[in-house]
Amino acid sequence: MTSSPTVPDTEKGTAVSPRRTAPAHPAPQALVRVRGVTKSFGGAAALKGVDLDLYPGEIHALMGMNGAGKSTFVHVLSGVHQPDSGTLTLGGHEHTGLTVRRARRLGISSVPQRRELAPGLTVAENVLLGDLPTRYGTVHWKAVREQAGRALSGLGIDIDPDRIAGTLTVAEQTMVEVAREVRRGGRVLILDEPTACLSARDADRVRDLVRTLRDEGVAVVYISHYIDEVMSLADRITVLRDGALVRSAPAAELDAAALVRGMVGRDVVSRRPARPAPRSESGLAVRSLSQGRALRDFSVDVRKGEIVAVLGPAGDGQSRLFDLLSGRQRPDSGEIRVDGRPVPPGRIDASLAGGLRCVTGDRRTLGLVQGLTVDENLMLAGDRFARRRLHRVRHLARRAAPVRDTYGVVALTGNPPVGTLSGGNQQKVLLGKWLETAPVACFLEDPTNGVDVAAMADIHTLVDDLAARGVAVLLASSSPEEVMRLADRVVVVSAGRTVAEHDIDAITRDQLVTTALGGQPQ
Amino acid sequence: MSLKTPSAAPDVAAGPPGDAGRPRSTYRRLPHIPHGGLLLVLVLVAVFTAVQADAFTSSQNLLNVLRQVSVTAVIAAGLTLLMTAGGMDFSMGSNAAVTLCVAAQLLARGWSTPAVVVVSLVLATLIGLVNGLVVTYTRVAPFVATLASAMLLDGVALLVLDGMSVTIGDKMSALGNDEVAGVPYLTIVALLVLALTGVTMRFTTFGRDAFAMGGNEHVARLSGIDVNGRKLALYALAGVLAGLAGLMLLSRLGAAAPNTAGLQTQLTAVAAVVIGGTSLAGGHGTVTGTVIGVVLLGVVGNALNLLQVNSNYQLVVTGGVLLVAAIVNEFQRKSSPGH
Ligand SMILES: Nc1ncnc2c1ncn2[C@@H]1O[C@H](COP(=O)(O)OP(=O)(O)OP(=O)(O)O)[C@@H](O)[C@H]1O
Ligand SMILES: [Mg+2]
Repeated sequence: MTSSPTVPDTEKGTAVSPRRTAPAHPAPQALVRVRGVTKSFGGAAALKGVDLDLYPGEIHALMGMNGAGKSTFVHVLSGVHQPDSGTLTLGGHEHTGLTVRRARRLGISSVPQRRELAPGLTVAENVLLGDLPTRYGTVHWKAVREQAGRALSGLGIDIDPDRIAGTLTVAEQTMVEVAREVRRGGRVLILDEPTACLSARDADRVRDLVRTLRDEGVAVVYISHYIDEVMSLADRITVLRDGALVRSAPAAELDAAALVRGMVGRDVVSRRPARPAPRSESGLAVRSLSQGRALRDFSVDVRKGEIVAVLGPAGDGQSRLFDLLSGRQRPDSGEIRVDGRPVPPGRIDASLAGGLRCVTGDRRTLGLVQGLTVDENLMLAGDRFARRRLHRVRHLARRAAPVRDTYGVVALTGNPPVGTLSGGNQQKVLLGKWLETAPVACFLEDPTNGVDVAAMADIHTLVDDLAARGVAVLLASSSPEEVMRLADRVVVVSAGRTVAEHDIDAITRDQLVTTALGGQPQ
Repeated sequence: MSLKTPSAAPDVAAGPPGDAGRPRSTYRRLPHIPHGGLLLVLVLVAVFTAVQADAFTSSQNLLNVLRQVSVTAVIAAGLTLLMTAGGMDFSMGSNAAVTLCVAAQLLARGWSTPAVVVVSLVLATLIGLVNGLVVTYTRVAPFVATLASAMLLDGVALLVLDGMSVTIGDKMSALGNDEVAGVPYLTIVALLVLALTGVTMRFTTFGRDAFAMGGNEHVARLSGIDVNGRKLALYALAGVLAGLAGLMLLSRLGAAAPNTAGLQTQLTAVAAVVIGGTSLAGGHGTVTGTVIGVVLLGVVGNALNLLQVNSNYQLVVTGGVLLVAAIVNEFQRKSSPGH
């Protein structure tokens, strides 16, 4: 997605109603037929008359920018939201709205954008949730483990069913949720950004899984911001913009450039800019940081103005870095220096006072207070650093406005709770919250997790600017493209160990992917 | 540098809400009046009682209700802030009982009133602080820790009185029984406390920290909020307000008798706060809601007395009101955008 698609100017994103597009599929009978669905929140329209047909045995990708209404649409489909108007026809019946139960009974299952496992239960219990096998009126635990194990291994997922869901990485959570939904055996499977923060490898596994299901005749609704992924996976693509349908066509008729243009309404260019050379002094130095088996003897030195990427499969060592650098957890050993000064380990206040800002990849649990407004979340850290005593909404809005502007945060209504924003917009709020607090060094964990093409380019530019301002940036990523786009140097980790370190000029993307995969201990 | 994503501009927000925003049923309108459903219940109860019992609207009775709810209101105010921050204190009523008994004993032994007020408030604050220390530095859930201290303090209150009633003569009786411009002093104190709490929650960083902590403690910590310090302060604040409630109650009754205040009082306050829409999980709460909750419970109690309902039914009815109000709140929350 870091390429710069150029689109001939004549290409216009004309709305083609799926009704008039002859389905290119052998089975002409649509499984689900959605007509004219509208939905608004507090007077602002999130969906404006969307039509869609789902065919069995087809992967139907839904694309659009952050806040375009993709999640809202699939929420309507899966009964989470009731549409204000419009109909859903399935199984020969016309419905004006579904409940979650109803949708489930009709065979619509969905993996939502935010993972919703019960964190205290085991993987096995989560997989069988609501359908635990019983014997003599009590839960038959042996069967639970067996059935869950079968459901997981049947999909080639290698996760111990006895693990507690709360300890899973995001990638593993996704797999478990897919396994659960697949086990329930729906005719329609909705996946809302299933690969948003998975490593190339895990994402491949999820995609293989989706293909298998498609071949078994399931109608898959697949939401993703990754254009390459969608082009290679989808049979049919529907593009939404501002809640309205822009285009719906077989994937073969679309190309990447047309897609971007349809989603964004313009071309998106994201190229590595010429950044000033890093300064000589060290901004962030990490020496032999170790914690249990998650991270072993990790060292890295980031100069001011330099971007160093730590690349590894999601959930590997680099995710532990957030806990250690932010001071949430104390490392077993090792030293952190910011701007040459040691930062006492395991203390959040010390880490912040030292000028280290850590942006989590898990914005729901560690990033944002979902119930507070956008403005308050944006200024949550900044106002505390400034030791403000008084809180006035008007002043807050005035301070937050430029940040909103710079980071392109879009909300349907003025200043709603941040939890109602689309995923990508929440990510922008999270970045705005931290990057505007005069950092000396920054740790960014998957900063473009779940954001659209245009926003990704914007965020890359923001990170470039951050480095250009002389901030030392340590970037944890699971995406080789992002690393190639942003980093000056890359450290590849695997199973908690550093397996390679390269200057970005001295390596190609393919070599990088090979190193990242080659480092995997089998 | 300004980065905007042009097509994502929310042009819809400015457009006419007309067709799309049409509510499908009337209950969807409720959320637009904050606490609308609750106010409706309150008005219904009040009107019903006024029609059924003439005595309800007599100034004597209304003053009485005001005095009664004032004490609960002070406890409920502190609790609103604490619960918004994700905390819980079941021991405030018992703390009030201890304060009340200690103050009565000291007054009966001839201490001067100002000295007694200072000593009892300090004592109450310390009790709150101990709760705070236990909750913050051990991993015991606030629910459990403060329930334990509630029982413990109820016992201490009995020990302090040693099974007797202690009268304080007419010391402090002005606070408990006089009024200015028709408003009892107690109510003025309660209104001050409520107003200060409301202002704190809305206009100070301290108050907003409470919302952030209640909403997501991890995020609050990571954002540089001194969560532990804030918790201690909040529990201490709950303590001092409990002490104040104890003194108010003492001034109204003129004597300390066994089993005054205590856990039962606290449960009423908790009920009032929950009725007012403050979330048990934290992150959400308003003083306005708490005021309505306190008044509602006070009026219901008074109505049951006036209508001479068998006292055995009173708890049943109070419980019923709590349930109905909680359900009404939940409805409003669900149907409002952004949950
Ligand atoms: N419960 C809600 N209350 C208010 N507004 C909402 C609610 N849910 C969604 N919205 C708004 O509706 C719009 C569409 O949101 P939606 O989540 O469908 O976007 P999306 O296409 O899934 O974006 P993303 O790619 O970022 O996930 C957004 O502007 C969002 O703020
Ligand atoms: Mg979404």
